[in-house]
Parts: sequence; structure tokens; C-alpha cells
Amino acid sequence: MSEGTWRERLRVWVDGEREPRDRTLFVMESPQRTSSLPTPEEHEVRERHRLRKFLNWYPAAAVIICAALVAVLLAAVVRMPAFGEADNPINNEVSRHYLARTEEETGASNAVTGMILSYRGFDTLGESCVLFLAVASVTLLLRREDGEPEDAAQRRLRREDALQREHPDVILQQSARLLIPFILLFALYVLLNGESSPGGGFSGGTVLGGGLILYAAAFGFERLGRFFSRRAYSAVRTFGLLLYTFLYGCYIVTGANGLTSEALTRMGGLSLPIDLAVGLVVACTVYGFYALFARGEI
Amino acid sequence: MIALEYFLLAGLLVCAAAAPLFRRLLVTVIVYTAFSLLLAILWALLQSPDLAITEAAVGAGVSGILYFLTLRNIHAMKGTHDV
Repeated sequence: MSEGTWRERLRVWVDGEREPRDRTLFVMESPQRTSSLPTPEEHEVRERHRLRKFLNWYPAAAVIICAALVAVLLAAVVRMPAFGEADNPINNEVSRHYLARTEEETGASNAVTGMILSYRGFDTLGESCVLFLAVASVTLLLRREDGEPEDAAQRRLRREDALQREHPDVILQQSARLLIPFILLFALYVLLNGESSPGGGFSGGTVLGGGLILYAAAFGFERLGRFFSRRAYSAVRTFGLLLYTFLYGCYIVTGANGLTSEALTRMGGLSLPIDLAVGLVVACTVYGFYALFARGEI
Repeated sequence: MIALEYFLLAGLLVCAAAAPLFRRLLVTVIVYTAFSLLLAILWALLQSPDLAITEAAVGAGVSGILYFLTLRNIHAMKGTHDV
């Protein structure tokens, strides 16, 4: 195998089977069993002793730590400047600059949105990546493989699903039927309106994800899967992050201010598409957590 | 408005102190959700509606649901059918 093409060698090395340089196999050494293991009785006595010691100290330690934390926080609150005073340290030239020039520099009429998506867009990009990676790692942990035999918990889950399909929860379904249009509409409103009023990607995305969760809980995953399957889910999630990366890349490459031409400014600059991208990523994250926790797949 | 803020702050303190004291985890999660809801109203009163929306959706909605699902999966919820 070592005499194969470079592609084969690369695959073997990536899979961890063989070290390419000196072509030796990795051998995991099994740890030496020590002969001085305690007998089960000794072990139990020792563990019970440790547990009793721990339980004696635990309440005292908890109270002390909580009291210290409360004292630190209270001290900070007492020393904080009063809310809304004119000579507070936050009222300096930085915030004045942002308030005065956000619209012409970023094209967003809402200063908070301009701050989150443009001035500190890199920060928001990192957060979106964190959400993306969080769903990916939860998927790695919780998703069951296709060929894997079912264990008892999955059989129970399947039975519960069948039970739910035969006897649907009338209260949940009727209230969901009533609420879901308004939730989705509100989510769209918050998403699209983010650049001119409070809201934007994170808020709208969570509301959108909440609506999807309510739909899945009330009508089952099969019905949701008709228009939002696993492939669609992955596509939307990846598309959101890539769109955000691309738009912010444009921002950086053009020196952050080069894109505010007339048309873009009238559209709200790049804020609107970036808002939508963040919203898609957040909504998919929220719904993906629910789906993975509830039944182990999306 | 100020009276309402003090009322909400007192409610926050009561919820935060009460949450770890219940023996049933389900009640703890419900109290935690109530905490998030009070905090969401407080954010709205403090003129940050975007935080209020996010807090209501994430704190009261999604994280509560995730806790409920976890409790169901570890069979810590009474009243659900365990097989």
C-alpha cells in the first residue's frame, strides 16, 4: 500500500493508519494494568468516605461562592454611573461618530444594525461560524447512522411518534394553526426591517426557528419534512453562512466603504442581505438543535 | 413605569432564588422560563427591543424546549408515557 500513488498515501495518512515519512504503523500501546488495584469492597468504602466528605463541604462551598459572586456584582452595580446621565463615560466622541455617520458610511438607517453588521461585522461573522459549528458538532454527537441498529430509546421514540400521529394533541394543533402564520410573519418583519428598526438577523432568526419548532411539535416532523427536508436544511444553513462570508468579504476587499453607491444605499446597503444571511443561519441553528435533541436527526 | 420596573426586578430576584430550591427539575425549568420572560419585558422597558425579542425567543422559548426534551430523554418528567 505504501507504494501507491500520492493520493493513496495521502488518504492513508489522513485516516491515521500510517505515518508517511518513515512508513511505520501506529501501534496503540495498551496501558499496563497495575496489580495494586483495590478490591471492590475497599473501593466502595473509600468512595463512600469521599462522598461523605464532599457532601459535608458542598453546601458551605456553594454558599461562600454565591455570596462572593453576589458581593462582587452588587459592588459593581453600586459603583456604576447612573443610567442616562450626560457625563457618563459612554458619551464620548466614539458614540457621537457612530450616531452621526452610520447612515452615510454603512447605509443602515439604524445605528445598532450598522454597528452589528458593518462596523463589527467581523465579530458577527465569527458568531455565525460558532453557531454553524455548534450545529455540526451536535449533529456529530447525536445523529444516528442509517445502518445502525435501533436501541430501546429509539424504539420508544418511534412508538411515541406513532401514538402522536394517531391521537394528535388537539389543543396544540389548533393553537399552532392559529399562531404559526403570525409568528412567521413577525419573523419576516423583524428580519426585513432590521436595518431601519430594532431587530435584525439574530432576533428574526430565533423567532423563525421558534415557528419551525412549533410546527414540528404540533404536526410532526414528517409534515415539516415535505417542504423542509434534511437536504434543504443543510443547503439553507450553508447558503446563509457562505452568503454572509461573501458579502462581508466584498466589504473588506473594497475597504469597507466602497459599496455604498446610490442604489445600494437606497436598499439599505449590504445590511439587508447580511441580515437575511444571519437570520437563516440562526433559524437553522435553533431548529437543528430541536430536531437533533428530539429525534436524533434533522 | 418605574414601579413596574421595580416589580419586575423583584420578580427576577424571586425567580432566581427559587429556581434551585425546587426538588422537581420540571418546576425548575418552568421557573427559569418565567425568569427569562420577566427579563424580556425588562429589556423592552430599558429601550432595547431587539434584545427583548431575542431573550423571549431564546431564553423563554428555545432553551426551555431543549431543557424539556432533555428531561424527557432522561425520564425525569412525570406525566409523560415512559415505556
